[in-house]
Amino acid sequence: MKQTLMLLLFSLLNFGSLAIYAQIEDQCLTCHEAIGDKAAELYKTDIHFVKNISCTACHGGNNQLDDMEAAMSKKEGFKGVPKGDEISERCSSCHSKSEVMKKYNSNLPTDQIELIQNSVHWQKSISGNSNILQCINCHNAHGIVPVSNPASPVYSLNIPATCSKCHSNAIYMRSYNPSMPIDQYQKYLTSIHGMKNRKGDVKAADCSDCHGSHDIRNSHDVKSKVYPINIPKTCSECHSNHEYMSSYNIPTDQFAKYSKSVHGVALLEKNDLSAPACNSCHGNHAAVPPGVQSISKVCGTCHVLNAELFAGSPHKKVFDEKNYPECETCHKNHEIVTATNDLIGVEKGSACSKCHDELSNVEGYKSARTMKQLIDSLDTRIAFAKKLVEDAEQKGMEISEAKFKLRDAAQSKQEARTVIHSFNLDKFNEVVKGKGLTTTSLIIVEARESIDDYYFRRYGLAVSVFIITGLAITIFLYIRKIEKS
Amino acid sequence: MKLNWEKFYGWIDERLQLQDLVNFMGKKYVPVHRHSIWYYFGGVTLFLFIIQVLTGILLLFYYKGSADLAFESIQFIMSKVQFGWLIRSIHTWSANLFILSAFIHMFSVYFEKSYRKPREMTWVTGMLMLFLGLGFGFSGYLLPWNELAFFATKVGSDIIGAVPLVGEELKIFMRGGEDVTGATLSRMFGFHIALFPALFSILLVIHLLIVQRQGISQPLHLESEAENEIKKMPFFPNFFLRDLLLWLLVLNILSILAVFFPSELGHKADPFASAPEGIKPEWYFLFMFQTLKYFPAHIWFVEGEIVGIILFGFAGILWLLVPFWDRKSSIGKKNRMINYIGIFAVMFIIVLTILGWIS
Amino acid sequence: MDQTKIPDEQNSRRKFLKYILSSWFGGFCIAVFYPLIAYLKPPEQSEVTVTSVSAGSLSDIEKESGKIIRFGNKPVILIRTQDDKLIAYDAVCTHLDCTVQYKKEMGVIWCACHNGKYDLNGRNISGPPPKPLMAYRVTLKGDEILISKQT
Repeated sequence: MKQTLMLLLFSLLNFGSLAIYAQIEDQCLTCHEAIGDKAAELYKTDIHFVKNISCTACHGGNNQLDDMEAAMSKKEGFKGVPKGDEISERCSSCHSKSEVMKKYNSNLPTDQIELIQNSVHWQKSISGNSNILQCINCHNAHGIVPVSNPASPVYSLNIPATCSKCHSNAIYMRSYNPSMPIDQYQKYLTSIHGMKNRKGDVKAADCSDCHGSHDIRNSHDVKSKVYPINIPKTCSECHSNHEYMSSYNIPTDQFAKYSKSVHGVALLEKNDLSAPACNSCHGNHAAVPPGVQSISKVCGTCHVLNAELFAGSPHKKVFDEKNYPECETCHKNHEIVTATNDLIGVEKGSACSKCHDELSNVEGYKSARTMKQLIDSLDTRIAFAKKLVEDAEQKGMEISEAKFKLRDAAQSKQEARTVIHSFNLDKFNEVVKGKGLTTTSLIIVEARESIDDYYFRRYGLAVSVFIITGLAITIFLYIRKIEKS
Repeated sequence: MKLNWEKFYGWIDERLQLQDLVNFMGKKYVPVHRHSIWYYFGGVTLFLFIIQVLTGILLLFYYKGSADLAFESIQFIMSKVQFGWLIRSIHTWSANLFILSAFIHMFSVYFEKSYRKPREMTWVTGMLMLFLGLGFGFSGYLLPWNELAFFATKVGSDIIGAVPLVGEELKIFMRGGEDVTGATLSRMFGFHIALFPALFSILLVIHLLIVQRQGISQPLHLESEAENEIKKMPFFPNFFLRDLLLWLLVLNILSILAVFFPSELGHKADPFASAPEGIKPEWYFLFMFQTLKYFPAHIWFVEGEIVGIILFGFAGILWLLVPFWDRKSSIGKKNRMINYIGIFAVMFIIVLTILGWIS
Repeated sequence: MDQTKIPDEQNSRRKFLKYILSSWFGGFCIAVFYPLIAYLKPPEQSEVTVTSVSAGSLSDIEKESGKIIRFGNKPVILIRTQDDKLIAYDAVCTHLDCTVQYKKEMGVIWCACHNGKYDLNGRNISGPPPKPLMAYRVTLKGDEILISKQT
């Protein structure tokens, strides 16, 4: 709707300026067309031509003189073909000035040059004479058309190809960033975004939707739209927009859920760059949702041990058969919260109880119940040991030995939480009982001894107070005695 | 057994004429009246000082006065050394009680006007010892090198830095540099275990010698009465034994406090950490600290804090010189003004300490 | 009352009081000196040594193996590498505080809890650990290995 309106507006404007054009003869075009200059030909389709902007705006000279020598003389300010940075300077001489742009009834932004100055493309090229990109590299030189025009190289459907002109060129890219991949375009074509883009869906994300247009920054730049911390927000610009996504029939609450998840909190609140952003699971250029069977592989890139244990567990086969998404079945997808003990066991709301109940799947039911009991008892024992240690410490007792062991107990709990993914009671037992509960008992004994020692101090005090008081009373009696006599 | 003891005493007596001393003390009398109780606080303060010296020496056996080991060595004393916790707790508690009892002693002397001629020097040496006692407290507080001590010292020395003219130099001298660092710890350690004890001992000897020489002062209202009408008690053994009795009770209180409220250690000082909330100085500095808080930021064009410090300095000097400007008491007249000022000072200290405590 | 008896009685009462007094005093001395003597007795670990800790002798640790050393309240991992270098790192995994270990097969420092890996420079190279391990200084004093905090 918006686009058609824009088009309509443009054609109206074009019509108006054409009328003006008819009155003035442009000598540049007259000659250059006559000699079959391609630039002159292309310029006829250029928006600047439509707006009645003559060749002289960029090249200088006088378009009213029919004498070639005179028209293209220094005296008339002829500048010839701009080179290097001159090109962008010419463009910005109008495009960065809102008062000039207003004259042509344009409501284009005027900050492009400002934005591009901070971008990765505005560095000196290998020649060292000019910056890597000039405006014309993306927008064309003589056949410039509005972005909304399907003929524009920066029209949404054309952008991937335009960017790939350089970014898929290994030899070219090598001279700037040898470690940078050049397969983004290939990958993009396999992504949902790319496929939709190929099919002519201008709403599907193209390069500029994620990387920006003029202000493209390196992904390590904290201001980049694809800096890890900024990625979820960038994706959510479209994916959380209910209206925008309505035609695709997919949920729009991923960002809201992700922000609450353990990953989202780590990345967005604690700024932990090792936490996964959207692209860590979905891929970036080749973004697709991971398939059901590849979920454990995707999660396993970080949670290696869990994935390995799960692959060897009895669940693997069943999940594959029933087509259950592996990790997601218990941990959800976007809203992965810190796993608690309540995730296992047979109570309502636990993950195990989704499939295992007392009547069917009895063996699993029993194991789940035992595992839950074990980890709960480890928890309470550790909490108890901790309380005793704290108690002893509060009482001013030296308990660093037990405190040191407390770390081992805590570690056994961490390990138990990992080893549970083997869904093997024996392995689980080995960690919880063999390691956790044994250490915890030792700590409890030590802490109790310490606390006993604390009470020994109390008794010691009682004895000494008794003696001192006794001595004091005797002295008191003695004083009375001498004062009597 | 008994024989041996007498022999031993005889042996010593032959050489040192101990009997003279005993006779001297036996002839010394302490006046007995309804305010006699206050006489004991001097002795209690002395006892607590002795405890401080003894436990201080014991702590020195294990304490290490450097920024990287101070905290750990205290931790070591508290955990590894047998009864280390007791020695350290007694040292801290005894320090607090020392200041308290010194304050009581000072105010009792003040209200009894015992500083009047000829005891001006006793008063001045006593006041100087009280100031030194505060110095002991301030310097000792930093020695465990924990968070609280670190920031309290920082704040405390900042306040000293606000003293006009010499403040900045004084602060740098105290800190051993621009900031509170390991150098400050070394300095405070030096003050605490060498400089202050030396000065204190000299003052203490003078103080005690004068007291022995002049005898114990009696209240103004007794002075008019005839010499033989005043109730008296011999210093030795009667008063001495009472002193001893009180000392034992104080020792009891100390050990109970040490066992039930052992000194805490907290976290090791980290100069780069932000100050924990509610940094407060030790209670005996609290009234000054709190008063400075109430001063407006600016009085005319001078900083409020500076005005406060000047006022406190002025008050301190006035207090120190009481015997010299209280002319009435010296000639045996009642001086109610002194009582009013004293009551105001006591109330002021109590109220502001409480305000500082609850804030 | 018999006149002659009074001084005698007084004398014995006085003696009794003195006797009691001295026995109380004896008890008092015990109450004071027992803690004092115990305090002065050098403790087992005779000094605070938190800035450096002994990790046993070089012969106790094999090539290509690691060992957990207690450093104050924290574990430190000491590793003798393949090329016979001694290195030490904070043994607390930067992810969730588990204790790390040296994995000979992988040649890395490994955390059993979540498969976090650190290379022998202490850098986190794989798995969830967000930060590298802090390095300690290792010095050899004859055959004795000493670990100290890097300053």
